[in-house]
Amino acid sequence: MVELLQTWLQRPNFIVFVILFLWGIYIMAAHPNLVKKLIGLYIVQTSVIFFLVAFSAKEGATVPIILSGTTSVNPLDYANPLPHVLTVTAIVVQIATLGVSLALVSAIHKRFGSLDEDEVMEQLG
Amino acid sequence: MSSHLPILLFLVPFVMGVSMPILAAKRRSWCQHLTLGTFGLMLILSMVNLQVVLTEGPIEYAFGGWAVPVGIGWLDDPLAAIVILTLSFVSFISIIYGRVVVSSKLEKNVQYYTLILILVSGLVGVVFAADLFNVFVFLEVAALTGYALVGAAGGKSLVYALRYLLLGSFGATLYLLGLSHLYVATGTLNMADIALVLPGLMTSTAVAAGLIYIFLGLSIKMALIPLHSWLPDAYANAPSSVTPLLASTVTKVALLAWVRIEYSLITPGVEVSHVPVLVLLEEIGVFAALIGGALALIQTDIKRMFAYGGISHIGLILIGVSLGNATGFVGGMFYLINDAVMQAALFMIAGAVLHYYRASTLEQLRGVGRKSPWLTAALVVVAVAMVGLPPTGGFFGKWNIILGALEAQHYFAAFAVIASTLLTLGYFLRIFACWFHQPASVEFKPIEISKSMRISLGTICVSMIVLGLMSDSIFQFLLASVASGGA
Repeated sequence: MVELLQTWLQRPNFIVFVILFLWGIYIMAAHPNLVKKLIGLYIVQTSVIFFLVAFSAKEGATVPIILSGTTSVNPLDYANPLPHVLTVTAIVVQIATLGVSLALVSAIHKRFGSLDEDEVMEQLG
Repeated sequence: MSSHLPILLFLVPFVMGVSMPILAAKRRSWCQHLTLGTFGLMLILSMVNLQVVLTEGPIEYAFGGWAVPVGIGWLDDPLAAIVILTLSFVSFISIIYGRVVVSSKLEKNVQYYTLILILVSGLVGVVFAADLFNVFVFLEVAALTGYALVGAAGGKSLVYALRYLLLGSFGATLYLLGLSHLYVATGTLNMADIALVLPGLMTSTAVAAGLIYIFLGLSIKMALIPLHSWLPDAYANAPSSVTPLLASTVTKVALLAWVRIEYSLITPGVEVSHVPVLVLLEEIGVFAALIGGALALIQTDIKRMFAYGGISHIGLILIGVSLGNATGFVGGMFYLINDAVMQAALFMIAGAVLHYYRASTLEQLRGVGRKSPWLTAALVVVAVAMVGLPPTGGFFGKWNIILGALEAQHYFAAFAVIASTLLTLGYFLRIFACWFHQPASVEFKPIEISKSMRISLGTICVSMIVLGLMSDSIFQFLLASVASGGA
């Protein structure tokens, strides 16, 4: 048990990821307010992006741009750009999702006059 | 030129979708014709593509000339080519059909057609992508437009669209988490590359967790029971004009994405902590096929009934591809193509009944059959295909899944396919009982079924029989492509 805790504590980033992920799911499931559900979804998505950034972190590494073509390249000196590229794309997807979801929520508010899921479901019957 | 066919198939709907607001800004009535023309062009291109792929072998498209795995690759093999052909065909037919049932609010709405075009281009991307992250991006393109299209009917559908969005985006996030696990373990995102590295890594918990996250994420997208709860409400309330397209393609393409991952990464006999993965997937499929069929049987709303029918077929296809032999795999894939056409036909009939007779529940259907020979004929053909009787394609797909199950000696899976067939027969008997019943108090007026409706219903019914007649040649080239290692 102590050993397990020790190995966990050596990875603070992953603990933060797990906490954010579960917290987001909890908000999505528990809050009746539609905007708060979206905030929960946003936290879940952000936690996965945090995970992507966390595993690509590298000490003493720099931006992967080779300035001169002549010197030999040591891969250990450079950060892996691919997880960052994935992160940027995932953020774009996240923003697009947020846009569509906010449009839907505002349409629901216009139509039903409420943002509370229980009240909206009551009107649906 | 022919090596650029995959990207052309993607660009045609995409460019048209983006430029639609400019092209049709002044003349709103052009939207429909432009969309129809685009899908017509796509249909021709996808036929050429299938021909090229069958004669010259699979096309591996590397974007910007960067070779895989450094660059992003697309794979255009016989399976992808025939799925794209089905996708173009269903899109084309559902636009013709949409001319009749589309609501006046959406008929001249530029954004509505833009969304349809971008949805189709996103689906094309998922089918071709040979890169896990590419699949994620295109799934989200297709899903976001899907949410908006479900909500386009306004009113009730908005709430169900938001629910679909919450679950769908959560599924996509799980998929992203899973692919990042696989990336950490293997250092690549290309499916063929991962397949090379992965067999030695099956004991790694990161790989197992990654595959589980990917499967859970895609299960939400393909509405696999028990993660199906968004689908019936969303499709029962979405605009009738677009439901055939959504119901027939979105879940099937997500399933196809999973099949590609499963086929290249999980070989028969792979075990993760003594659990044989393929057998587990097959059991999940059995569960989905039976529960989905049973839920369809107890529905009273016809659109919801058809939606549950589709959910049960997702389970059937999963059984087929998880049997671990070529017969079952090809049967499952052939059934996937058939199911896309059948779901489109079912929702076209449900939408037509709603449009002409304002009937959405079984009770309201009473006596419809006496007034509309076109709809009755279409319903009979679809019922034959759904239950799986020759000469329709549905029979040959199910037959091969059963043969595959017997070959793998999984008798329970074979039994489940037959049991789900009986459940399908059960809910069609319920529909027919009402359809041909003596009309109740309200007498329907005979209504002239418009030409577009006749063309679309006629074509889709003929295509179901054509699929059955051509099943042998389709099986041959799918088997050849499976045998040569691609899928």
